Amino acid sequence: MPELTTTSAPLRDSGPRAVRLEATNHEGCFLGKNVSPKKFAAGKDAGFAFADLLFGLDLGNLPVFGSAFPAWRGHLDDVYFRPDMSTLIEWKPGLDSVIGDYWLKDGTPVPICPRNLLRQMVERLAAHGFTATVAVEIEAAVFEESIHEARARGYRNLSPLGGNAGTAYHLAKSADWIDYMNAVADRLDEVGIEWEAFSDEDAAGQVEINLAPGDPIKVGDAWARTRQIMREVAFERGHCVTFMAKPTAGYGQASHINLSLQRDGDNAFYAEDGPSETMLHAIGGLLATIEGNTSIVLPQITSYRRLVDLSGPPVTISWGISNKTTAVRAVCGHPKYSRLEYRLPGADANLYLALAGVLAGVIGGMEQKIDPPEQVTDMAWCMPPGLGIERIPDSITKAAAALDADPILRELLGDEFVDCWIASRKWEWMQFHTAGGDPFAELSEWESARYFELP
Amino acid sequence: MTETMTAPTPTAAGAADVDVRIEDDASPIVRMIGRTLRDSARAGHALDALHTSSGTVAIRSHDTPQAATISFGDNGIDVSSGVRIEPDAAITVDLNARFAPTEDPSGDADLARGVLRALTPPLPGWREAAQQFWDATRSIAGIPDVLIAVTEGPDGVEQIVLGDGATQYLMASDPDTLAGVFSGADDLIAVLFSGALGIQGTLSQLSVMTGASWKVRYDA
Repeated sequence: MPELTTTSAPLRDSGPRAVRLEATNHEGCFLGKNVSPKKFAAGKDAGFAFADLLFGLDLGNLPVFGSAFPAWRGHLDDVYFRPDMSTLIEWKPGLDSVIGDYWLKDGTPVPICPRNLLRQMVERLAAHGFTATVAVEIEAAVFEESIHEARARGYRNLSPLGGNAGTAYHLAKSADWIDYMNAVADRLDEVGIEWEAFSDEDAAGQVEINLAPGDPIKVGDAWARTRQIMREVAFERGHCVTFMAKPTAGYGQASHINLSLQRDGDNAFYAEDGPSETMLHAIGGLLATIEGNTSIVLPQITSYRRLVDLSGPPVTISWGISNKTTAVRAVCGHPKYSRLEYRLPGADANLYLALAGVLAGVIGGMEQKIDPPEQVTDMAWCMPPGLGIERIPDSITKAAAALDADPILRELLGDEFVDCWIASRKWEWMQFHTAGGDPFAELSEWESARYFELP
Repeated sequence: MTETMTAPTPTAAGAADVDVRIEDDASPIVRMIGRTLRDSARAGHALDALHTSSGTVAIRSHDTPQAATISFGDNGIDVSSGVRIEPDAAITVDLNARFAPTEDPSGDADLARGVLRALTPPLPGWREAAQQFWDATRSIAGIPDVLIAVTEGPDGVEQIVLGDGATQYLMASDPDTLAGVFSGADDLIAVLFSGALGIQGTLSQLSVMTGASWKVRYDA
C-alpha cells in the first residue's frame, strides 16, 4: 500500500488556532480531535495516538464484546492517526481540518480502518487496469427544532423543516428550508466540496444532496465532511438533522451509490447495445455479494425497517436496465453516463465501508467472471416466491450470517474486518433486544435515542 | 485445595424427549426460553408441564419490551417472538434473575405455574456446569486454552481446570454464581457488573468469553 500524501502547502502565515483530525469509525461517526498547530506539526508524520476503542465502542459508548480482538488490539492500546495532507483545508477561520487513516505502531495500516479498506479496493481495481468513479446521494431529514429540543423530546414529534406538505422536488418551500439548504451549499463551496444538486425528498423534512462524481476516496471524504457541514449548519440555525435510516415511521433514507469503471480513459461499462461485458461481470459480482454486503450497507437495527415493498428501497436480489425497483440499476448506452446504481445502502451506512464492499463485489465479479442472473424487467417489489428471485436479508442477524459465509467479501475485505464487523452487528442486535429496543414498534424509542444523532 | 481436572458427564436419567422448537432468526428471549425448556427436559424436570398438550403462555420482560409466546401442542413446544394472540396465561419475569416472576401471573394459573417451573430447571453443580460450558465453547476462535473456575467450598478453596495450553482464564465466585454463568442461566456481563464474579485474563479474552456465554445462554 503506498504512503499517504504527507506534504502540502504550508499552513497559512497567520495560522489556525487548531487543526481538527478527522476519520470515521466503523459506524460512520466522524471522530477526531483538535490539536494545536505546534502539536500538528510535530505529529503529522509520526501520527497521533488514539485509543483502539475507537474501533471497539458501540453507539452507546459500551465496549463491543463477543469475539476475539485482532492481534493489534491490546488493553486499550494506541493506534495512530496519520493525516492525508492532500485533504488539509481551512474549515473556518481559526480551524483547519484534515482527514486521515489509522496505522499501527509498526507502520502498517489498521486492517479494519474504513478508509484503509477502501484504498485497498481502489488499488486492487488499479491492478486490473481500472479506476472507479463513484457518486453518492446524501439523504437526511431536517427538523425545525434545535438539537436540544429534539433531545428533550426523545427525538419524537418534531416538525419537519419546510412543513409536511409536498414530497420530492417541490420548489414551493418555506424560507427556513431554503435558507438552510443555501447555507449548506455555501459552506460546501467554502470548503471546496463540489455539489451538483439539492432538493427535497419523499419524506417530510427530507432533503437530498448530490455530490459530484469522483475518485472513491475523495468522494468518501466529501461525504463525511458534507454530513458534518449539514449538522453544523443545522446547529447554528437552531435546527437539527439526522441521517438515521428511518427517523420517523414514514419513508426511510437511502444513500444510493453510482459507479462506473474507466480503463485507458474510456467508460468500461459502455457498450452500444447494452451492458458491456465488464458491466455484466460487475453486476454478477454485486449480486453474488449483495446478501453479505447487506450487513455493511444496512448496518443498524433501523436500517432494516426501510425494506418495505413499494416504498423505494430494493427488497430483492435483482438487477435491471433502467429499473429502479431492482437492487442494481444499470444505466446503459451512453459512453459517458453508463453506470450502475447500487440502491441498497441506507443513509446510516459508512460510505467508506459501503464503497469498499461495493468495489469488492465488482472486483470479485470481474476476477471470477461471474455472469449475472437474468435481469428483472418487471417490478421487483411484491414478487411471489418461486420465481427464483430471492429477497434481500431482512434482519441484522441474517445479513451478518450472509457476510460470514461470503467467500468473496472475506477474501477481499479480509477475515479481520469481517469477523470484527459481524461481532459488532451481533452486539448491536443483542443491545437492541436486551437494553430496551422494541422489535414490534414501527420505530422504537431505543432506536431514536441511539441513531438520531449518531452516526 | 481440591482440584478436579474433569467433571462427570451429566446423567441422562430422567431426561425426557420433548421437542422444543424456536422460530427462524429468533430473538434472544425466544432463544433463552427454548434453551431453558430444553434444559428442563434434559434434566427430567417439570415433565408434566413440558408435556402439556395445549395452551399458550406469554412471557414478558419486566424491564424491556422483550416478549415471547410459548405454545404447547401434541407435537411439542413452539416458542415465538412477541405476543400476537390472546394467551391463556401471561407471566412477567426478570430475565436477569432466572425467570423470577415480578408480579402475579394472569390467566390460567395452573398453566402459568407449570411454565414457571419449566423455566427454572435445577442448575447443575458448578463443576458440572463448567465442564458443560467448556465442552460447548472450547472451539470458539480465540478462547483461552485453559479455563480455571475457582470457588470457596466447605473444605476451602476448590478449583477445576479445564483444557491445556499456554493461555488461561480464571473465573472466581461462589458455587451458585459459577453454575449460573456456566450454565447460561445468568448473563456473564450482568454478573460481572454486579461484583459477584472475579475474572483474570485479557480484555480480548473477556470479549471471547462474552460470546461463549451467549452461546450457552441463547443457543445451547
